[in-house]
Amino acid sequence: MKGFLRRLLMKLIAGLVMVWVVATFTFVLVHSLPGNPGDIEYDRLIMQGTPPEIAQAKAAVVAGFTSHEPLLQQYFGYLGQLLHGNLGVSISYSGVPVADVIASAAPWTVLPVLSGLVVSFIIGVAGGVIAAVKRSTRWGGLLTLSGSLMAGIPSFVLALLLAFLFHTLWQILPYGDTSDVTLTPGFNGPYIGSVITHAVLPVSTYALLTYGGWLLTMKSSVVSVLGDDFILAAELRGISPVTRMRYIARNAILPLFTVLAISVGYMFGGSVLIEDIFDYPGLGNLLLHSIGRRDYPLMGGAFLLITVAIILANILAELLYSVIDPRVRRA
Amino acid sequence: MNRHTWVTAPVAALAVTAMLAACSTDNKAADGGAVYTTISGTNPITAGAPMNPFNASGNYFLGYNTMQLGFDKLNPADPNDFFPGLAKSWTATPTSLTVQLQDKAKWSDGSDVTPDDVKTSLAIALTQGSATVGAGFLTQGLDVGAVKTVDAHTVEIDQAVGGKNINFTRLVLKQTIVPTKVYGSLVPADIWDTIAASQGSDATAAQAAIDKLNATGKTISAFAPQTDVSAGPFVLTRVNPGSAVLDRNKYFYDLPKISPKQVVLRHYSGNEQIWGYMKNGELDSAPYTSIPTNVLDEILKAGNKRVDSLHYVNAAIAFNESVAPYDKTAVRQALAYVIDRKAVTKVGEPVGGTASTHLTGMIEQATANWLTPDQVNALNPYEPDTAKAETLLKGVGFTKNGDQWMLPDGKPWTITLQTVNGFSDWIAASTVIANELTSFGIPTKPALTADFATYKTEMAAGKYAVGFWLTALGPQASAAYQRLYGADNGFSMRGATVAHVSGKGSGNWQNTPETYTVGGNTVKVGELTAQLSALAPADQKPIIQQLAIATNQELPVIPIWDYTSVQFTNDKRFTNFPQQGQDALLNNPPGVWMMQGYVQGKQ
Repeated sequence: MKGFLRRLLMKLIAGLVMVWVVATFTFVLVHSLPGNPGDIEYDRLIMQGTPPEIAQAKAAVVAGFTSHEPLLQQYFGYLGQLLHGNLGVSISYSGVPVADVIASAAPWTVLPVLSGLVVSFIIGVAGGVIAAVKRSTRWGGLLTLSGSLMAGIPSFVLALLLAFLFHTLWQILPYGDTSDVTLTPGFNGPYIGSVITHAVLPVSTYALLTYGGWLLTMKSSVVSVLGDDFILAAELRGISPVTRMRYIARNAILPLFTVLAISVGYMFGGSVLIEDIFDYPGLGNLLLHSIGRRDYPLMGGAFLLITVAIILANILAELLYSVIDPRVRRA
Repeated sequence: MNRHTWVTAPVAALAVTAMLAACSTDNKAADGGAVYTTISGTNPITAGAPMNPFNASGNYFLGYNTMQLGFDKLNPADPNDFFPGLAKSWTATPTSLTVQLQDKAKWSDGSDVTPDDVKTSLAIALTQGSATVGAGFLTQGLDVGAVKTVDAHTVEIDQAVGGKNINFTRLVLKQTIVPTKVYGSLVPADIWDTIAASQGSDATAAQAAIDKLNATGKTISAFAPQTDVSAGPFVLTRVNPGSAVLDRNKYFYDLPKISPKQVVLRHYSGNEQIWGYMKNGELDSAPYTSIPTNVLDEILKAGNKRVDSLHYVNAAIAFNESVAPYDKTAVRQALAYVIDRKAVTKVGEPVGGTASTHLTGMIEQATANWLTPDQVNALNPYEPDTAKAETLLKGVGFTKNGDQWMLPDGKPWTITLQTVNGFSDWIAASTVIANELTSFGIPTKPALTADFATYKTEMAAGKYAVGFWLTALGPQASAAYQRLYGADNGFSMRGATVAHVSGKGSGNWQNTPETYTVGGNTVKVGELTAQLSALAPADQKPIIQQLAIATNQELPVIPIWDYTSVQFTNDKRFTNFPQQGQDALLNNPPGVWMMQGYVQGKQ
């Protein structure tokens, strides 16, 4: 237990250093982008037909939320805020705290990303075991082929295809929101049903995109374990196939847990494209909004959240690995 | 968990999901007929933003739950031509505006809309950057000096001392009116003293007052009201991250005219989503989007009806005249003769574009409105004519080496035509223009900038010699010419005089000369443009004529097409939409149509 806690502490310290590095990098990156929020607001309004004097006034308000201090001073101010858990205020939301804006969008990324990941993991792992055990049969071959195909399809192609088929052509699934706005939010059947139906397209995309990877990795892992001496010994000792399968699965699944935890972080990053295609209002869409409006604090906050998710997932993966595999724990 | 549970658990979960989804569909159908579904083209729903019209991303919807004293008809001949809003009528003098509020104007909580609400709203407007506008720009700011209650329904709004802003009526009528009971606590008690100080002659005190107003403005724009209190035909009931629902306001002053029981506004992040909703017949009306012909066909096939109206925007090719050879008028004229604007428009903006014909810096209808027929006929239409282009180029020292045009210094002339990622019409048009110029002997390649913010910054830094640009913005000629002879061209106000700057960091990327010589006369473009914003329309005419003729001769930009506002209506659920020709209405959101008695539910 003491060793575990020491490992956890070391990982957390390393994670904090990584967060600082990434926060610094993203700060420099977002402030290096050409353009400024005031000019963007002015042009946005002018293109909508707003009279110049009104557009100038509104742009001046937005510009008022932009810091004019030297960049280094802004950076130290930003780090100071971060230490107090403050992400600053959004420019494009006219002073609304960044944490509030992110908190309103985050659930709509976390829900589909995690659902998609869990679904694809379960189906992919089960498929991988079958594909490995039945690898010399037609079913095994078909499963492997399906995994290869899905792993090779670009995310935007799959998302566009699903949107076209299920929303435009057959009109059986909605997109463009998290639920039907005419329903009262809460723990009631119609609302929950609406949330689920609105999430089907993004969740399916996440699931289908990652299913192939799980299947192929699991198949390869199972095939490798099948050749181990302890499996042969178990067979010779007359241990039942179900018990043997448990041995195989437990050993074969180990590498996948690491990948699973890391995937959580990467899927947050991948949400940008998928949410944009389905117009699903999560963190990905928020990030695009913040980039388009050059909302530096919001961009920084969204990037940071995605980074922290990846770092935490990595720490969790390593800790999980040591819990699942006693050999790692002892080492 | 036994084997049966393994099987039955997912099946049961699926069944529950299907049942819940079915319940949701039933609920939607129950309210079906009277729900008006559309998209706010100017104000997309923003997840997490407050229901606050002073927030830059706020979820508020003009004409539905957000009201002004009036709604602009975008009449180029009369900038003060408005549809009534919360103001039933108004009387303007050179220094003030007296507004008669609607007799039955009430907020959605049942309380009256009062002159005090107007006073609070105008004070707030002066905290929203308006106090700083005017300094440096070729336009005048809001300039409200005082607001006086005349009686329970009448309010007098005075210009600041010495103010002669001809746009005063327009600017006041366009301000958002909010309830004092919601926003009043955010407005300091001494705000009118601060406003007076900001307009005073003591520069230090004025700046301190402006800073104080701006600080108040920041607090107000970040404010998140708990509920919507609306004086419009609808009140905001709920904002989802991707849509909003508004219910009919039973206290609206002209309730019998409002047919839809509910309005649902959908979010969009790109044109494709709006097209998709229209193809599915989900929208009762849709705002303007740039649209390709094949998509138009599918939209029409789905039962949508196209309604065109004037759009005061033009797509043009702009030059940085500090880069040779674009400093030469003959070069810009030659390029205008080479580019076949009709052919380019047919590819770039086939549905919502009309090729520019008179190249005056204004859209065609505005040109016809301000210039006499003789003046219009005398304009150079720059019809495609490569022989004229060759003559012009040879006249300023260009030579031809085989098929390739050479600059006067003997180097080959090539063009990089800059456009912006995501602007599909500009990108398509740039390909055609590049082909035309290359065929003429000027190898041209289109180039893309990542996004508009980067494009604007790099353009201002003088990085592009030739690129696409939007011109002729707005119905007022002053706005159209500010686009050509304003801040982007180094012109700004310094006190009562027009100053001109150029060079690195000045923001002047067009770099035209300060004056043109037209018919032997000197035309001071910056000064004339500044004068426009201070003159009544009748007095603007001779100045606009000078600017139009000078622009046609000098071509600081080559206009390619005027945009047309192509909107769509769908009469599956509602009828009596505004028709083609009703531009004043069509240029306003559907909430304003409804206030005027349009849009009735089908029985």
